[in-house]
Amino acid sequence: MIDLLQSVGSGVLVGLVYALLGLCIVIIFKASEAFNFAIGEFLIIGSFLFYTLFFNETIPWHKALQIGVVIFLFFAFILFYDKNLRLRIAFPVGMVTGLLIFCFFFFGLKLSSLITSPLLRFLLAFPLGLLAAGMFGSMVERVTIKPLLGRSPISMTIVTLGLGFLLRACVQLIWGSHSYSFFLDLPDITLEIKDLLFLSDPIWAGILSLIIFGLVIAFLFRTRWGLAIRATSEDQAKAMAFGINARFVLLLVWGISALCIAVAGIMISNFGALSAGMGFVGLRALPVVLIGGMDSIGGALIGGILVGICEALAGAYIEPLGLVGFKEVAPYLLLLLVLFIRPYGFFGTVRIERV
Amino acid sequence: MLAIENLRVVYHDVISVLNGISLGVQEGEILIIIGANGAGKTTLLRAISGMIDFYNGDIIEGDIKMGESSIKGLDCTDIMKRYGVTYVMEDRPVFWYLTIEENLKAASFSRWDKQVKADMEEVFEYFPVLQPLRHKKAGYASGGEQQMLAIGMALMTKPKILLLDEPSLGLAPLITEELFQIVKRLNASGITIVLVEQNAHAALNIGTRGYVVETGRIVLDGKAQELLENEDVREFYLGSGEKERKSYKDAKRYKRRKRWL
Amino acid sequence: MKKRTLFILSIIVVFAFLGYGSIFAKEIKVLSQFPMSGPVGSLPEFGWGYIDGMNWVNGEGGGVNGKKITWYLEDFRYDPTVEVANFNKYAAEHSREELIMATGYITGGLKPLIEKVNVEEKIPWLDGSYSTEIFGEEGGPSKYPYYYSLGATYGNQIKVLMRWIKDNHKAKGKPKVGFVYSPTAWGKDGTPEGIAYAKQLGFDVVAEIEYPYTATDATNECMQLRKAKAQYVVYHGYSGAASYTAIFFKTAKKVLKGVQLMGTHYTTGRFPILVAQEAFDGYVGVATRPFLDAVPRSATPMDNPMVKLAHDFAKKHRPEEYEKGLKAGGIKDMFLYMEGLTYALFIQKTLIEADNNYELSREGIKKALDNMTWDFNGMFGGKVFSYKSHTIPMMRIYKAKVKMAKIQTAEGEKMVPTGAVVPISDWINTDEIKW
Repeated sequence: MIDLLQSVGSGVLVGLVYALLGLCIVIIFKASEAFNFAIGEFLIIGSFLFYTLFFNETIPWHKALQIGVVIFLFFAFILFYDKNLRLRIAFPVGMVTGLLIFCFFFFGLKLSSLITSPLLRFLLAFPLGLLAAGMFGSMVERVTIKPLLGRSPISMTIVTLGLGFLLRACVQLIWGSHSYSFFLDLPDITLEIKDLLFLSDPIWAGILSLIIFGLVIAFLFRTRWGLAIRATSEDQAKAMAFGINARFVLLLVWGISALCIAVAGIMISNFGALSAGMGFVGLRALPVVLIGGMDSIGGALIGGILVGICEALAGAYIEPLGLVGFKEVAPYLLLLLVLFIRPYGFFGTVRIERV
Repeated sequence: MLAIENLRVVYHDVISVLNGISLGVQEGEILIIIGANGAGKTTLLRAISGMIDFYNGDIIEGDIKMGESSIKGLDCTDIMKRYGVTYVMEDRPVFWYLTIEENLKAASFSRWDKQVKADMEEVFEYFPVLQPLRHKKAGYASGGEQQMLAIGMALMTKPKILLLDEPSLGLAPLITEELFQIVKRLNASGITIVLVEQNAHAALNIGTRGYVVETGRIVLDGKAQELLENEDVREFYLGSGEKERKSYKDAKRYKRRKRWL
Repeated sequence: MKKRTLFILSIIVVFAFLGYGSIFAKEIKVLSQFPMSGPVGSLPEFGWGYIDGMNWVNGEGGGVNGKKITWYLEDFRYDPTVEVANFNKYAAEHSREELIMATGYITGGLKPLIEKVNVEEKIPWLDGSYSTEIFGEEGGPSKYPYYYSLGATYGNQIKVLMRWIKDNHKAKGKPKVGFVYSPTAWGKDGTPEGIAYAKQLGFDVVAEIEYPYTATDATNECMQLRKAKAQYVVYHGYSGAASYTAIFFKTAKKVLKGVQLMGTHYTTGRFPILVAQEAFDGYVGVATRPFLDAVPRSATPMDNPMVKLAHDFAKKHRPEEYEKGLKAGGIKDMFLYMEGLTYALFIQKTLIEADNNYELSREGIKKALDNMTWDFNGMFGGKVFSYKSHTIPMMRIYKAKVKMAKIQTAEGEKMVPTGAVVPISDWINTDEIKW
């Protein structure tokens, strides 16, 4: 009994992180009907951005300069391109942002030397890192996805596939591909009752994932921007006709998605270490969203928890029987089962999608 | 106030839909545009509202002028915000998965201010049928209710010019009648209306002026009453001509072309 | 007339001489392949060490009795298919008289090449693989006569760990041992031999757990070990650099209190100190090379001549990378650099032996390797090994000592891990052990 509780408990904690991964896929899918295959690379980049802030890791100036210039061009481009006569605004804003980012990478914010308390540092670095990740996400959207607005979702999906390869190469160029140590040093809240043991890191991961999940849902269902996103998700043309800037909404969605992926990445990195080869973790989102339903936010939560529990139970009960490696397959078997009963996932809208 | 000069629009760089169309909209009128399927009516509205980009169309010639300034090539949200042109797409453009209240809120996105709540009540006044449904998903509302909601949403954007694209599509005659009465009321409250219709008879009855569009050109224009009495219009669009159809081929042209491309 | 005849004649003579010379001077070609990029991370250090080593061999090192070596270096991206394809390409492009030696690095590439190397090409093949299946009792020189490993097999490594447990077990009752390995081509390799030996010594083998390298969480694995009440856990995985190794050590540190964590060659080293930090403290593992590269690097003891040589080489040829350390583009672990250098020096030694005693051909090199006894520049504490078993049967037991310390860096004060894996045994020659 205790074994069962232990497995299910740790499964749920990891499952919450998976749910967050699922959410990222779902909101992008809802907004543009495309599946983001570059999720693994978003995860790595988001985690590295946070890492740069939290651990005060700077990168050499010539690389930082390149990034700064790219970002300057980006901001100049986005503002210039979007509205016709904003060159006066676009240029200085792009310049300032690019410069800021350059400083951010090259000098670092020296957080680790300024603030000694790890918790305080985390509280400061977490939102900043996530903001950077979100900005990165929207930047990628601007360059790769926006030109495809109104086209077939399949072409966007294919673009994300290629994007994944490109981003992976970029990560390896900037940060190399060895592991970076990753200790958040959050307050120890290990739960130990007799034989039952839940470690501090997974508990934190579960809690933070849940919080972010809740925040995203609150954002979607309680604010006017969320309303705009939901409206655009349903039909881009209608939304545009009623004055919702669908292009900007798409940018927002990608930003939020990248931000959530970064949270998941940071949590998973905190279990072990951060390395460029961690991208495969992102693909755990695949069974999650397919079980929960491609376009259901609640489904992502349930799917994530189910996948987590499924992995944990398979690891605890089936692998010792001699079926080693079953843990990896178990979510997909569950997925198969679910798809037999409900071809569109547990909570997916009943309609035919070609993805 | 709105003038379209010699406009040519091409979809996907090959299909020419508007072939040099010119028309003017005067302040405070109800302008009726009638024409056969594929004559280019919807495209015309898309071009005015700035949505043409989204459908892969290009304005290759001509100009759209709002007062003195050209609005050609502007983003549709910009056109809406700055010039108060709101386009109600055909086939009841409401968000099915949002409640009716959320639909109205979503539509007021471009001008979010403290007035929204009051405006919403005003819309419910125009369309009292929507009032009891306000927390229901729009997808469950009936066709007439959805069309009313669509117009209500357009009102939330505070338009100066309202572009209505076949609001009567798929509605029972009684409801169409009701709808057109509301359109008339809106016009009376100071909103200029451009109404594109297949149901020419009902439309021309409430309109002030009218244009007849065929294969991307204006072929006829005049006072709504004059058009109602025009022989050709009666024959082709009101279905009550005395003579045998002479050029049935013309009316069918677009359909045939569509099959090939 | 006479003058002209003489002129033509002299030209013919010169050409004949040159032609003769070119036939006579056949090149010595060697192919080396390392996994310098790929899923386990980018490890260009292998290549740097090898390139520096080979340049030295051809220059100051004197070549092979004055003859230069033509060497080829390929990165096979940790992909056996690429390794096999590369070898096939070179084998087809170069004549058997010239391409006389090849090296590889992983077990995955060894297996598909068995026929090609041992039966068709008959080319001596040095490898970084410690596969028990190929170099252990099941395989060995009789079965794969052209395969040579530059280390002791995983089976022997785990057996040595078992002997350490036997010597150091203080608690009452039989030692309870758990095994963790990864599901790859070499993942389980050596554990059956290790388990059999543990049973022979009278240990309880309480758990055998497969831990995939795609893991995001090790709680369940560690809880299983805890439930089984394991006192010793042998972690047999690849590269302490990988994040899943860090996940395991970080979790194990908290879940498995008082349990001795142990491991094989690739888990021992500098990487886990940097990545898993204090969670790695107290780890006991074997390694087949002198793993003395400490954090910070300046604390490294230089009494091992081979280590000193490697550090001198790195300082001389790659000063910038040597300083950078764990930062991108630096030499992260001197083992990797030393390994490249080791290959270069070993190739030179073999070729010289073959040239002196036999002939510079594939068969001659095989004879030279089979009869080689060497102390490898004192790498193994002056001990001499013989290459009869086609493995270098030397290994040593290390214990990790890691401490967090505050140091002053350019970016301000920082908590960094310091420490090293410290040898706790002498060099062990497994050929001499009676199991």
